[in-house]
Amino acid sequence: MRRELRLDGVGRRYALRGPWVLRGVDLAVEPGTLVRVEGANGTGKSTLLRLLAGIDAPTEGRVTGRPRTAYVPERFPPALPFTAARYLTHLGTVHGLSRRTAARAAGQWLERLGAAGYADTPLTRLSKGSSQKVAVAQALLAEPELLVLDEAWTGLDAEARAELERAVAERTADGGTVVFVDHDPGRLAGASDAVYVVRDGTLHRRTGLEPEPMPSGPRVVVRVQGPPGAALPGDVRRTAASAEESGPGCHTLTVPASHSDVLLRTLLTARPPWHVVGVHAPEDRR
Amino acid sequence: MTALLRYQTALLLRSQRWLPPVVLYAAALGIGVQGGQPVLDSLGWAAAVLLPVAAWLVRICVTSEPPAARGCVSAARGPARAHLAPVLVALAAAVVLGAAATVVVTLVSDPVSTGRATRVPPLPAAGAGLLAALVCALLGTAVGALTAWPVLRSPGRAVPALLLAALLALVASGSPARAAVGDLVAGSKSGAVPLPLLPLAGAVVVAVVAVAAACVLSSRRPSA
Repeated sequence: MRRELRLDGVGRRYALRGPWVLRGVDLAVEPGTLVRVEGANGTGKSTLLRLLAGIDAPTEGRVTGRPRTAYVPERFPPALPFTAARYLTHLGTVHGLSRRTAARAAGQWLERLGAAGYADTPLTRLSKGSSQKVAVAQALLAEPELLVLDEAWTGLDAEARAELERAVAERTADGGTVVFVDHDPGRLAGASDAVYVVRDGTLHRRTGLEPEPMPSGPRVVVRVQGPPGAALPGDVRRTAASAEESGPGCHTLTVPASHSDVLLRTLLTARPPWHVVGVHAPEDRR
Repeated sequence: MTALLRYQTALLLRSQRWLPPVVLYAAALGIGVQGGQPVLDSLGWAAAVLLPVAAWLVRICVTSEPPAARGCVSAARGPARAHLAPVLVALAAAVVLGAAATVVVTLVSDPVSTGRATRVPPLPAAGAGLLAALVCALLGTAVGALTAWPVLRSPGRAVPALLLAALLALVASGSPARAAVGDLVAGSKSGAVPLPLLPLAGAVVVAVVAVAAACVLSSRRPSA
């Protein structure tokens, strides 16, 4: 069982006597959770993510329990003398994969993100969106235990944005931790396990008492039937936004659209497996 | 670490930024070394010129990755190793250059002392030249590591600092590079092949301390 990722009294400033960007940050993140970090521009969100990813060391305080980590920067300037596939293969091996596995994973991720056609294009000739896809693929191809996303969705097209949301759902379903910053309040809405706000140079947990400005985001309704007498698997209960028993052994689950694949996979691979009666959008509920 | 070294080596070779220092080194050898000169003298020159070239190679390697790409590698392997890898690749490149130069210089030079009075055996001379080249590569690596990010960030200050530090490392008394090159020149005069092991030990210590300091700083300074 992996330990939780902890920040204890963490502070960071960039110069010896410079101003504190962050100070007194305490944070504990359990494996398998999705954490959203909010805050206005320039409040230190990126600094916090760099501390979490282990790129920067805290000036004071301690970071403990950091597992295998991958990071997606907010801007990925492609000034590197490689093709996309070659760069990803290199990064895959840096993340600990064998060369063959890395090359295969690179191809698969470029395909998932809709950039397979750019595999042999030099990074310097990629558009901003395509190079952002390379940055995302780099982080996902080794299935990290901690994934840190600094506005990783910026510049991606709609399909790739949805794919990245699904990839995040897969990571957390596999017991990984994902911490992300994004300015779209609908991003993975309703799927985050915790929301933190960076304000006044420190980190505040957003509790249920504060007003919830987040829209619920796109949902999918899944109707399932279980083996006689079986209760919903715990993972399903955690992934679903709501679950109601609509009949004997029958459940109607509402799940964030990004997590529908993960939910179905959990149900179908459960022992004994569940039967999926129907999957539909919330509107055409019959 | 192997994957990191392979990645950084590919980065150096494919970027073609290695070309200017290699051309500079070849030009410096062409000026300072001529066929038929005493071998130890020429080997001393070849080693001395390697020092600024090694420092330049380190600068090239540690600045070749954009900060965002370095962030991705740092998250995966830790910032210290992400910084150590390009420095080691630069050192290896400098050692390869120095070794090649040692072989060529030994082949074209005459195996004699400065006054042509004594015969200098070429194989031990090449060994001494190789050791001196290693000393200069290590010291150049130390100079490069201490005059690039994360120690010095603005190129306006870093480049003059690199040139000044490389010069000092060659002429300051007590510098292992000066000692190693001086040993070769003195050996050329006397006709006895030196074995600069003490300077080598000194250079290893200096390089380890300098590179370790740079690696520790790499997670504490803002990315360039």
